[in-house]
Amino acid sequence: MASWTPLGDRAVRFARPDRSARAIVHAVRAWPGVIDVVVARGDVAAYFDRPPEVTWAQIEALATAPDDPAPVRDVWLRAVYDGPDLEDVAARTGRSVADVCALHAAATYRVEMMGFAPGFAYLTGLPAALELPRRTTPRPRVPAGSIAIATAYTAVYPFASPGGWHLLGTVVDGPMFGPDGARLQLGDRVRFAP
Amino acid sequence: MTLTVLRALGLITIQDLGRPGRMHEAVPPGGALAIDRLIAANRAVHNPDDAPALEILGQLVVRAERDVEVASDGRPPRALAAGDELTLASEPRRVAYLAVRGGIAAPRLFGGRGALVSAGLGGVIRVGQRLQTAQLARVRPVPVPARPAGPIRLVAGPDPDHFGPGALDLLIASEYRISPTSDRIGTRLDGPPVPRTQLPEVSRPMVIGAIEVPHDGTPIVLGPEHPTTGGYPIIAVVTRADLGALFAIRLGGAVRFTR
Repeated sequence: MASWTPLGDRAVRFARPDRSARAIVHAVRAWPGVIDVVVARGDVAAYFDRPPEVTWAQIEALATAPDDPAPVRDVWLRAVYDGPDLEDVAARTGRSVADVCALHAAATYRVEMMGFAPGFAYLTGLPAALELPRRTTPRPRVPAGSIAIATAYTAVYPFASPGGWHLLGTVVDGPMFGPDGARLQLGDRVRFAP
Repeated sequence: MTLTVLRALGLITIQDLGRPGRMHEAVPPGGALAIDRLIAANRAVHNPDDAPALEILGQLVVRAERDVEVASDGRPPRALAAGDELTLASEPRRVAYLAVRGGIAAPRLFGGRGALVSAGLGGVIRVGQRLQTAQLARVRPVPVPARPAGPIRLVAGPDPDHFGPGALDLLIASEYRISPTSDRIGTRLDGPPVPRTQLPEVSRPMVIGAIEVPHDGTPIVLGPEHPTTGGYPIIAVVTRADLGALFAIRLGGAVRFTR
């Protein structure tokens, strides 16, 4: 049975249905009073401009919610593989640095979640051979534009920030977040072009 | 130009009601730390509630370059003549607002006119800066209802499994102090650590006012620039009506909670 829990007096949280983040955001934003939606790996939060009113039927309907009708975008990011962790990642995965770069650049990714910092997109589709746990010691400062991997994800840091992911390179053809918002959006198909 | 900044100590930014509607892009809601105080200042000079005003976490000295009507928080408006200087400090609170008749002019970026430091939107106000006023039409102000005095009200949850029995009771029975390390992202509370279990942390959606508890047990109340997702469990969430009162308590000041 679909249930939800209060997240304060203007939001609710519930278990994520087995749908894409894009489809969930599109459907939940249409609920009366909803102003914002955040989709995480296992949870969804809906944010209201008034005390929330949610029915179980609304949540259950998300399991069959249609995808956002807007076309999926294809985004190319110009990449230079110059990251400080290339040799370390190569050693841990038992491959050459050239192999690591080629593997990362050959894959097609999808934006499946956004969080952590404005415009920070969690990209799925990382080749299994590159899956590594986070670094044991996070860096106090990762430069903006850094291409990074950790667990099953790759991402590009939109802003300089602390970070515990392995750094493979840099996106060199523009900022990931600007006055018009985030360069990557939920659902985008993303390729890195060396 | 209308105002020239002669002195800016601490963090001074232009703020409005924020940028709702972009959290799915990991953009926090932003906006004024104490929304009710921003609204009170705006209404005092017949501005709409969402008119951009100056948020002062520290001290600001400005000089009027022409006759202008200003107001701070809920106080009555005052007229500044060209050449008048005005000093405004957030003390004895943590934050004060300076509203100018017509609003402060600021470009609309990404749905809002205020600074969102974490997203590089809008800037920090600096000495020598010249501020223009916008031409927002006069509105008839409605009084700002006074919040009843008393402890800050909480909604329990949503992660009770991550806390021992009595953790919320301890939070409510104890007096906490606003840590000087607080910022617009989070307000840290000095006081008895909140006991929590060591269940694995899962990155989950966050909300303004959420009281998250890291490993050391120091509660952090998320502010307008909070990350949209986070891994620390939430013991309770401050009610929306009490957020401004909590965030206006001066650094080092005492706070108590209630259910």
